[in-house]
Amino acid sequence: MNQSTLVAFLPAWPPEPGAIFWIALAVVSTGLLGELAFRSFRLPRITGYFLVGLIFGSFGFDLNATALTGSLRWVFDLALSVLLFELGTRVDLRWLRANPWLPATSVAEATATLAAVILLLSLTGADGATAVSVGVILMSTSPAIVMRVVSEFRADGQLTERLMILTAMNTIYSVLGAKLLFGWLHLSDGGNFFAALLLPVYVVLGSGLLGVVLAWSIRWVTRHFNLGDDNAVLLLLGMLMLAMALVKLGKFSPLLTPLAAGIVLKNAWARPIVFPRHMGTAGGILVAMLFFATGTAVSLNQLFAGGAIAIALVVVRGGAKLGAISALGLPSGLSMRQSVALGIAMTPVSGVAFALTYDLQAISADLAASVGAIVFSAIALLELIGPLAVEWALVRSGETHG
Amino acid sequence: MAEANTGTAPAIDSKALGEFAKSRSLTLGVELELQIVNTHHYDLTPSAADLLRVLRQDGLPGDVKPEITSSMVEISTGICEGYDDALNQLRQLRDALCAAAARLNIGLSGGGTHPFQHWSHQKIYPAQRFHHLSEVYGYLSKQFTVFGQHVHVGCPSPDEALWLLHSMSPYIPHLIALSASSPFVQGVDTGFNSARLNSVFAFPLSGRAPFALTWKEFGEFYDKMTHTGVVESMKDFYWDIRPKPEFGTIEVRVMDTPLTLEKAAAIAAYIQSLASWLIQERPVEPAEDDYLVYTFNRFQACRFGFDGIFVDPKSGQHTTIREHILATMERIRPHAEKLGAQHALADLALDARERGSDASWIRNQFEQEHLLEEVVRRQTLRWRG
Repeated sequence: MNQSTLVAFLPAWPPEPGAIFWIALAVVSTGLLGELAFRSFRLPRITGYFLVGLIFGSFGFDLNATALTGSLRWVFDLALSVLLFELGTRVDLRWLRANPWLPATSVAEATATLAAVILLLSLTGADGATAVSVGVILMSTSPAIVMRVVSEFRADGQLTERLMILTAMNTIYSVLGAKLLFGWLHLSDGGNFFAALLLPVYVVLGSGLLGVVLAWSIRWVTRHFNLGDDNAVLLLLGMLMLAMALVKLGKFSPLLTPLAAGIVLKNAWARPIVFPRHMGTAGGILVAMLFFATGTAVSLNQLFAGGAIAIALVVVRGGAKLGAISALGLPSGLSMRQSVALGIAMTPVSGVAFALTYDLQAISADLAASVGAIVFSAIALLELIGPLAVEWALVRSGETHG
Repeated sequence: MAEANTGTAPAIDSKALGEFAKSRSLTLGVELELQIVNTHHYDLTPSAADLLRVLRQDGLPGDVKPEITSSMVEISTGICEGYDDALNQLRQLRDALCAAAARLNIGLSGGGTHPFQHWSHQKIYPAQRFHHLSEVYGYLSKQFTVFGQHVHVGCPSPDEALWLLHSMSPYIPHLIALSASSPFVQGVDTGFNSARLNSVFAFPLSGRAPFALTWKEFGEFYDKMTHTGVVESMKDFYWDIRPKPEFGTIEVRVMDTPLTLEKAAAIAAYIQSLASWLIQERPVEPAEDDYLVYTFNRFQACRFGFDGIFVDPKSGQHTTIREHILATMERIRPHAEKLGAQHALADLALDARERGSDASWIRNQFEQEHLLEEVVRRQTLRWRG
């Protein structure tokens, strides 16, 4: 017997850990750092998740995640749909009718953000398409961060409610804006005019319709199953996954569909439906992974690649939201203090913006090349400070528990 | 619970009992503590400050005050002549409150307890007096997130006030049974019709007022109590009925906040008719021994509502609270008619006879829906009228 056969049962040296090993290590680190952020610094856990993702993304570790491919993308979409659905169930359309200052605030802050971003980028010499694309993407507030921080701190009150409804609305604007933009890009590439116009209509109708069906199915589950049960959660997550698969088949919007389902569920039936947060523990884990995944999507290099323009974008965007919301806060029934806090709480950007940027990349490689660095950098900055901004605002308004 | 005297710490309050203000006999004042709920999950929501701010912006038609926890407000009428007046004033307040609540997307509800709120989630309203109470009573003050109706009855003199207070005490079980609307506490059916009063009993100075029939005697008791340092003002007594010298009234405090304004006004009218009958006909003279059966009767009313046993303090005769209410309504009918309260009383009699109290309504809703959130939503609809 020679030596090589003698030790054949031993693993190869040096060991070659695969993706599973690194993912496992990432999950362990996510859990530990998230708790550390929460206990030692009173930071939202998701900031810890995001940081772990950022570190793993920056140093490779076999996680070629810059494009959020494969299994991580799947986790990403499902987790985001859970949060968007949750957000949708908090959009009470009756409130928008009862307090017209609220839709006015929503339109004002979104318009101001769009205008401010376009203006800034035009000043730096960007072309129209680039400026508008970045404007549309940065118009939205991250539903993921908002919903997660709100539930982590068990926030309840006026600021919380308004934060959620304004976030839902600017997410809708942003997604619709992006679809219009894609149609426009299609047109300027010599595409068909009707096709350009039909794209947003098709997406909105298709996503809306699928949202209605999903809402009906979820309501059926809530009436016949105990939502406290793992079984019901499995069913709900399965339905969301199925819906996401159909979205892919029909080329609808993975963002609008769950949001629409939530809104339909909230407004079509008066009977309150109270879900366990993020649809129970399983959903909670998905959400944690979402923030890890968005962390891997940016690297430390990218964080700073946008340079001064990215920082200027963050500042201008924040200023526009803060200005519009505090100007309309008093007539809408908030105090000045709450209005300022709400303006600041609208800071976060995350998953939705990433998703839109990827969509944009898929449509126009030129555009992606020109905006890519700046947008990624701005998104990464806003993802990092976003949860802190929301936490600060909720604590300052006295709406957190425990 | 606590008087919403915001910003005045008890230490600043004058310790002297003070003069008993003059007020017109049998005038009324109604105070209602209301629940502020989130319209998504229907739990209590700490929005009192927001509601008050919007009400101030809109121009407030009456008196609305914060209460010890941030998810309750108290509305108070001015001086009312009777049922119609009280109902009108309450309606104006309610409509203003509901309009403000709609702008904030919050719900308002009657009911002596919120059926599933968790006491530890409650927040103390940011005012000095409330923080002081919270320090003194600890978790009791948060657990005291209960909602009551208080009715003031005008008395021309302090001695008459004390006489009326003790003559009315035997009828306290009627008022508990008629207003009962707190069967659920912390998510479970307590078996009580008014579980709210169990929270009130936990306070050291709750229960009945001492048997004193003259203001001088009462003043001596009060001085002795303040001398011990146990109390600092009348506000520290959480009695079922207590004199309110500043207003020149006695204040009946045992009622749960009913689910509708109409019932709140009707209960005030019943108290007014009772007072009118007691003062003008003097059917019985109050005595210390009346209180021998007091806590028994009161418990029966809290636990069993109209079905509870009523022990007559003079004769020792046992009847049901239902029978005693209906018999009393019959006796005081001429007074009710004179005060324009006959329809209100007839409606309350219907509750006692067949329709049941708000507590039964709440239980029925829960039996149908199996979801306390939905029950609270329906309560907010009833409150809105």
